[in-house]
Amino acid sequence: MLTKLAGGRLYDPAHGINGEVRDLYLRDGQILAKAPFGETPGRTYDLAGKLVMAGAIDLHTHIGGGKVNIARTMLPEDQRALVRTRTALTRTGGGHAAPSTFAAGYRYAEMGYTTAFEPAVLPVNARQAHMEMADTPMLDTGGYAMLGSDELLLQLMSEGVGQEVINNYVAWSLHAAQCIGIKVVNPGGISAFKFNARSLDVDERHPHYPLTPRDIVRTLSRAVFELGVPHPLHVHASNLGIPGNHTATLATMDAAEGFPIHLTHIQFHTYGTEGDRHFSSAAGEIAQAVNARKNVSIDVGQVMFGQTVTVSGDTMRQYANHHHAHPRKWTCMDIECDAGCGVVPFRYRDQNFVNALQWAIGLELFLMVDDPWRVFLTTDHPNGAPFTSYPRLIRLLMDRGFRNDQLARINPEAAAMSCLGSLEREYSLYEIAIMTRAAPARILGLADRGHLGAGARADITVYHQLDDPEQTFARPMLVFKDGEVVVEDGAVTRVVGGGTQVVRPEFDPAIELRIGRWFDRYHSIRMANFRISDTEMADGIGSPVTVHPCRPRGVA
Amino acid sequence: MTALTLQLLAPPSPRIDLSAFTPDGLAGQSADEVRRLPLWVGNQQVETGDLFRVTGDDTDAILIRSDSDRLDGIGTGMTRGSIRVEGRAGAYLGRRQRGGAIAVTGDAGPFAGSGMSGGTIRIGGDAGDFLGAAIAGERRGMRGGRIEVLGNAGDRVGDHQRRGQILINGNAGDYCGSRMVAGTILVLGRTGINTGLAMRRGTLLLTAEPNLPPTFNDNGTQQLAFLALLTRDLATAGGPFEQLKSRGTRVRRWLGDLGYGGQGEVLVWG
Repeated sequence: MLTKLAGGRLYDPAHGINGEVRDLYLRDGQILAKAPFGETPGRTYDLAGKLVMAGAIDLHTHIGGGKVNIARTMLPEDQRALVRTRTALTRTGGGHAAPSTFAAGYRYAEMGYTTAFEPAVLPVNARQAHMEMADTPMLDTGGYAMLGSDELLLQLMSEGVGQEVINNYVAWSLHAAQCIGIKVVNPGGISAFKFNARSLDVDERHPHYPLTPRDIVRTLSRAVFELGVPHPLHVHASNLGIPGNHTATLATMDAAEGFPIHLTHIQFHTYGTEGDRHFSSAAGEIAQAVNARKNVSIDVGQVMFGQTVTVSGDTMRQYANHHHAHPRKWTCMDIECDAGCGVVPFRYRDQNFVNALQWAIGLELFLMVDDPWRVFLTTDHPNGAPFTSYPRLIRLLMDRGFRNDQLARINPEAAAMSCLGSLEREYSLYEIAIMTRAAPARILGLADRGHLGAGARADITVYHQLDDPEQTFARPMLVFKDGEVVVEDGAVTRVVGGGTQVVRPEFDPAIELRIGRWFDRYHSIRMANFRISDTEMADGIGSPVTVHPCRPRGVA
Repeated sequence: MTALTLQLLAPPSPRIDLSAFTPDGLAGQSADEVRRLPLWVGNQQVETGDLFRVTGDDTDAILIRSDSDRLDGIGTGMTRGSIRVEGRAGAYLGRRQRGGAIAVTGDAGPFAGSGMSGGTIRIGGDAGDFLGAAIAGERRGMRGGRIEVLGNAGDRVGDHQRRGQILINGNAGDYCGSRMVAGTILVLGRTGINTGLAMRRGTLLLTAEPNLPPTFNDNGTQQLAFLALLTRDLATAGGPFEQLKSRGTRVRRWLGDLGYGGQGEVLVWG
C-alpha cells in the first residue's frame, strides 16, 4: 500500500533538509524517492505544521546484557516503583532506572526511537544480551563487543603478534558475538583489577602483562579502522569519575594516533582538580580537544537528577565507587575472565556539589563542542539517568531560559564554578535531528536509516510542534516502524519486533586455530558453542540479523 | 453510619490486590462508587462489585468478610481509621502501614506488617512467614508500630526489623529476628533454629530457651530492672499479653550476633 505523509516540515540533516515542507511517500516499509505517477495513496496523513524526522537512534544505552539483568534483580523496588499496567496490546512491565525489556521497548518507541544499541556486550554474554534485546519490543537493536580486558587479547598483544592477527581476532569477535562495533572499557583496567591494581592510568603498565592502556587503545582503534568497521572504536576511557581525569581522556584521544575513536559518556571523564574542593569542570579543554581532532567523536552521558543505577563493565571504578551506593547495596563480579561488571545504585542530587557540577559539565560539553555530527545525545542509560529523561535533556539544550532556571536551582557552589550560565548556544531542531538521527546512523554505518531519503527504511517520527521541546519530544504524534504506524499520540498502538544490526568484516579463518586452542585450554565452553549463528539469531533468539556493509579493508 | 463492608462473593483463583481499599483511599466514596472501582483478577480488570457485595457507608471503618487467603495488601499504606477482616487475610497485610488499626480474626499470609511504620495489626489466628520483615529489595523491615499475633508465626519474623514491636502468643518459626537492626520481638511460645542470626541490635524476649547460632555469647542469668518498664510498655489490656509483668525481671541473657556487631540481646524468662 502506498502511504502519503502530506505537508509535514521535514528535518533530514543527511540530505541537508532543514524544516522544508515536503510530502513523503512510503511503500513496503521504505521511503520512495518521489511520488509514484498517477497513483492514489491508500492512506494519507495530513501533517501540516508537524515536524517529521527519521526514527531516532540511541547509540549508547544499556538495555540488554548481563549487568542490566543484575540491576533488575538487585533492585526489585525499582520494578515496583513504576509499573506499566497491561493493556490489550502491551504487556506489563516496570522499572524506572532498569526497566524491564517490555517497558524499555514501549517507552523508547513512545519517545520516537526506533533503533538502540547496547554498548557493552561481553562476547561470552552475547547470547543473553541478544536474547534480552530480542525481548525488547519496538526496536531494532545491536551491540558492541567488549574487548580490551579479555585475557586472549592481552595474551596475544603481550606475545607481540602482529596487527594482522589482532585484526583477525577482532573481526572474529564481531562475527561470533553478532555485533556492530567494538568497545573497550577502562582498557586493560578490568583485567588489572583482578591482579589487585586499583587504578591504571593511560601510560601505566598492567601489573601482569607488559602493556599499557595506551597500547590497547592504539591497537584496537587501528584494528577497527583497518577492518573497515564503520563505527570507530567505542572507548570508555581510563579513570572514570576521578577528579583530574581529563588528562587521561586527552591521552586516550591521542592514543588512537589519528585513527577514528569514539569516547563515550565523556562527561564522566571531564573532571579537573581546581577549586577549594579539588573538583572542577574540564569541559573547556575537552571540547577544545574534540573540536580540534576530527578523528574524535563523543557522546556525553549527561547526568540528570534523581534515582538511577550505574551499570558498568568497569569493575575497577565501580568497586572504587561502591561506598556511594544508594540504596546501600552493590555488586562487582568477574565474567568468565572476559571482563567484569559492577552494579551500584545511585541517586544524583541537585544540591550535592559534585552531582550538580556533573550535570553542568555534561551540558557544557554539549554546548561547547561545535560539530553536532560528532557529539551524541546520551545519558549513558541508566548510568547518568534513565533514557526517559531525554525529552527534558533536549529542552535543556534548546531553551537557554529553562537551562538558566535549572542552573539557578542546583548547588550554588557548583553553579558558580560552571561557565554554563554564560553559554548562549541553543540547539536548533535541525541540530537535534543531527545528533539523534543522522549522525548516529552515519557513525554506525547504517545507510538504511537515520534519514528520509529514497530507499531508507520507513522508520519515521512525527512530532507536534509545541512551545516546550520537552513536550514535543516526550509525546510524538506518530511513529512509523517499517512503514507501519506503531505509536499514536505517545501511546503504543501496534507492537512489533526488531532485528539485530551487525557488521561482518572479512578475516582469515586460520585465526580460529589459535582461538580454539585458547578455548580448549581455558574456557568454560567450546568455541563452536560460543559463536552465535544467523540461524540461532533468527529462530532461537528471535532477532534476525541485518548485515551492514564495511569499508573495504584498509581503505579510509 | 455503618462500616463499609466488602463481603467476598466467591473465592477467587488468582490473587487480588486490595491495597487501594483503605480508609485513606476510599475517603468520601459511597458504596456505589466503591462497587465500580477497578480490580485486577489475573490479567482481567473487573469491577469491585463483581467480586464483593458492598454495603455500608463509613469508609473510616472498613469491614472485609472473606474466607479466602488470596486478598493481598489489605491496609497498604493506611494512616488512620480501622480495617477489620472477618476471616482470613492474604499476603502483605498492613504493608507500609503508617497509622490506624487492622484486626484480622483468622490467619494472615506472609509479609504481614512488612515496612510498617505506625499503627497496629492484630491477627487472631496464625501469621505467615516474614511477619514484619523486609520484602525483597528493601533493606528495612518494620520501622514502627505494633503487631500482635494470637496464634503462631512463620519463619523470618522481624527480618531486617528497624523499630516497633512484634508480639507472638504462640510459636515463631526459624530465623526469628534474623538481620534485625533494632526493635522488639516477644514470643511466648517456642522459636525455631537460627534465632537472631545476623542480628545487629534489638531485643528478642522469649520464654523458651532458643536455638541460637554459635555467634551468640551467653551472659548468664541477670536481674534487669528495665524489663519492668519494657513489659509495661508491651502489655495490652485483655488477651495473652496482659500479664507480662508477672513474669518478673529475671532473665537469662545472650548477646549477638557477634558476626554483626553483637549488640542484639536475646532475653529468656526462666
